[in-house]
Amino acid sequence: MLVLSRQRDESIMIGDNIVVTIVDIRGDKVRLGINAPSEIPVHRQEVYEAIQRENLRASQLEPGDTQEIGKFANRGPARPGGDKPR
Amino acid sequence: MRITTTRFGRIDVEASDLIRFPSGLPGLEDCREWALLADASNDALGWLQSTTRADVALAVVSPRRFVPEYQVRIPRSELTPLAVDDMRQAQVVVVVGQNGTGLTLNLKAPIVINLEARTGRQVVASGDLPLQYELSLARPPLKKSA
Repeated sequence: MLVLSRQRDESIMIGDNIVVTIVDIRGDKVRLGINAPSEIPVHRQEVYEAIQRENLRASQLEPGDTQEIGKFANRGPARPGGDKPR
Repeated sequence: MRITTTRFGRIDVEASDLIRFPSGLPGLEDCREWALLADASNDALGWLQSTTRADVALAVVSPRRFVPEYQVRIPRSELTPLAVDDMRQAQVVVVVGQNGTGLTLNLKAPIVINLEARTGRQVVASGDLPLQYELSLARPPLKKSA
């Protein structure tokens, strides 16, 4: 891993269009400002990893597991699967 | 187009049922193309079925039908890749999961679908929302976001 030392208000560049700035340092907490093109998603790593785990877990669900879900639904118009029979 | 699935057998899907996820989904980055299927027995439920991996499907629901007070706030940077200018062009669904107690909804990372362009993206919503919101008949109120 590349390790760089930076002070407050200094930045690093990743490629030619991502800038990470040290905005504030307080104790063991660092605040980062990130300027990146809008098509580059930026996530807190632990949040992203939690979503990965949740998707993998959810992808194990079988139709039999969801039979009861209707009883939790309110009457409403939207039908997420659309109207096409499968 | 005919696709093979472990849950639903071999099925024919129309091009209009296909949704492209250019970045895949977190944890399922290799799954770029999905078919949105209606559940045969439950009209509140849909399935996003990967067209390339027969065993990968996600149950999805419209969150407002289950959590009426759910108000999703999505950073603009998350929506730019979808080219959704107007949220009315977009359909928001959330993924159904299961924990030890029962069925759950992933309210933290809804899936936004641009209906016109047939593209989708799982986004990270702002605020303190649960990845596993437990469905129960006595609905727990959704915590106000921080």
